[in-house]
Amino acid sequence: MSIFIDKTNRVEVQGVTGKEGSYWTKHMQDMGTNVVFGVTPGKEGQQVEGIPVYHTIRRGMVEHPADTAMLFVPPAFTKDAIFEALDAGIRKIVTIADGIPLHELLQIRSAAKSCGAMVVGGNTSGVISPGKAMMGVLPYWIERVYKPGRIGVMTRSGSLTNEVTAEVVKAGFGVSTLVGVGGDSVPLTRFAEVLPLYQADPDTDAVVIIGELGGTMEEEVAEAMADGRFTKPLVAFIGGRTAPKGKRMGHAGAIVTGSKGTVEAKVEALTAAGGLVAKKPSLVGPLLREAMA
Amino acid sequence: MKLFEYQAKEAFSQCGIPTPKSVLVESLDAVPAAVAEVGLPCVIKAQVLQGGRGKAGLVKVVKDEAEAKAYAAILFNEKGVRRALVEAAVNIAQEIYLAITADPRQARAAILACAEGGVDIEQLAATSPEKIVTRTVDLDHGLSGFHMRNVGFGLGLSGDKLKAFNKVLSSLYKAFRKFDAELIEINPLFWTAEGTFVAGDGKLTIDDNSLSRQPAYEITRDHYDHELEYEAALAGIPYLQFDGDISLMCAGAGLTTTVFDLINYAGGKVANYLEFGGPNYTRAVDAMELCLKNTGAKVILIVTFGTVARADVIAQGLADAVAKFKPSIPIVTCIRGTNEEEAFRIIKELGLEPLSETEEAVQRAVDIAAGRAS
Repeated sequence: MSIFIDKTNRVEVQGVTGKEGSYWTKHMQDMGTNVVFGVTPGKEGQQVEGIPVYHTIRRGMVEHPADTAMLFVPPAFTKDAIFEALDAGIRKIVTIADGIPLHELLQIRSAAKSCGAMVVGGNTSGVISPGKAMMGVLPYWIERVYKPGRIGVMTRSGSLTNEVTAEVVKAGFGVSTLVGVGGDSVPLTRFAEVLPLYQADPDTDAVVIIGELGGTMEEEVAEAMADGRFTKPLVAFIGGRTAPKGKRMGHAGAIVTGSKGTVEAKVEALTAAGGLVAKKPSLVGPLLREAMA
Repeated sequence: MKLFEYQAKEAFSQCGIPTPKSVLVESLDAVPAAVAEVGLPCVIKAQVLQGGRGKAGLVKVVKDEAEAKAYAAILFNEKGVRRALVEAAVNIAQEIYLAITADPRQARAAILACAEGGVDIEQLAATSPEKIVTRTVDLDHGLSGFHMRNVGFGLGLSGDKLKAFNKVLSSLYKAFRKFDAELIEINPLFWTAEGTFVAGDGKLTIDDNSLSRQPAYEITRDHYDHELEYEAALAGIPYLQFDGDISLMCAGAGLTTTVFDLINYAGGKVANYLEFGGPNYTRAVDAMELCLKNTGAKVILIVTFGTVARADVIAQGLADAVAKFKPSIPIVTCIRGTNEEEAFRIIKELGLEPLSETEEAVQRAVDIAAGRAS
């Protein structure tokens, strides 16, 4: 088993005819993802990588019922594209768009919450269950990172995910499912909302979270551990321990404002809840071995 | 993007929030006319983006024109202030704190209010959280009467004062939406002796991802602490200036932040944080130009581990940059990810060593900066 995505999901791809959309749709298929149709308004009748393209999701759904949506749609059109997917009854959605306006992030997350949907992103590389399926722009071909295994990985970052996950694999482990929740200040799905899926997954033995300064997502994970909602071993790496206050470190969400969002607070909360926090990426592997001993 | 107080107050006015009569001055010569227009006593306020202006001596109440001129001279000539707001003084009966921000967890706008104005809301939240009234609003439902009643009665307001407050709150919410605000704050909101509300100060931060629909606002040199930060921002490359000697030219925000930590752990000091991942991964030449302009840099450290940001494309960009600038300071590379074999070949051809472990590369850069390696 894996969480969120495996070979049984029927995926429709929005923005499929774009350069990025067609390129990554091929990779998703190559890794085993079951892509059933694509959507680009005005391009119905075309084929991309052997899959039919429709003007709208509802038109595609008539012959190819889908339960999962992958968006390669620019940030300014993402709200509309997600609302279209929700309206068509889809409840699992991944958006990689980097730069979705803040108020629209709030509206999307609110709508998703109220209909029980899980929207992962934006500003993410996506979700991957190595050897089974992938949604997004993840380099499954880098074997020292995306090796199948039994460790769940959740991350706010892209390149840092490759860096840290390589350490997980170096320590002799592999990945069950990796979920990139993204680097925005309003991640559409938060770490603590993914955690119950890992808790329930018999094929995930432990979870690694790759966090950073800013926000409260790591603290929410600690809350879930402290009150017994998550009981598997957990190792974290959190970037930005030495970052200056008030400076935005690359990601929209990576900023300490006043006393909120410091790495110290996150490390303290996770440690108190029984998690192990690595100071450097190279310590993630050894700590994971320790946590699972 | 943070707006200046005068811009925030213009935005307030557009949405119907009363502000004191004021005139923006950009030179000492303009001060007497401004004082004459707003009347005495008045307040002279430096238009800078830093908080805590009162404590920093950047705001002053003046009684007459001579005092106004003397203080404005200090701001313009000694403190390097570019603009000041000359504003009519207010007869204050009560000060209130009122703000709207985003609550990422609840996915709503969050109203924060306190019956004591002029407070440091962060500090108050830590010491007396019961004094802060909070209500959240779903953007698709909008601000409703019950939200306002909860906030207004929560502050202990009643009668005409409550009615007037509701008008301010509803206007502030309108401004929050209209300007795609990350934060909009009136602190203090004055209740005057004459029985009206007026915004004493104004803060408005526009969401950076919404700037394309807020074309009235442009970044200025004042938004950045350092000339190179401003130059990088105009070029669209995230860059932060520090006073160390190791120049980071990395791709990926999380990875760059981690390298920043690793440098500090290893006893090194960062000269600049530069992140050229995402859509900028093809711009190694622009990135290196910025790093080389940083006169504090003794070594450039390049760390990447990209997917879309292909290693071979980044390495070729590095080769182009080296050919163009012929940098005199050493370069340490740790470029990995998609097509890394080709990247390693390009790097070797440049006469550089392609490292593949981040911590080894960090140690090398720290040693070079300290004169222990070359």
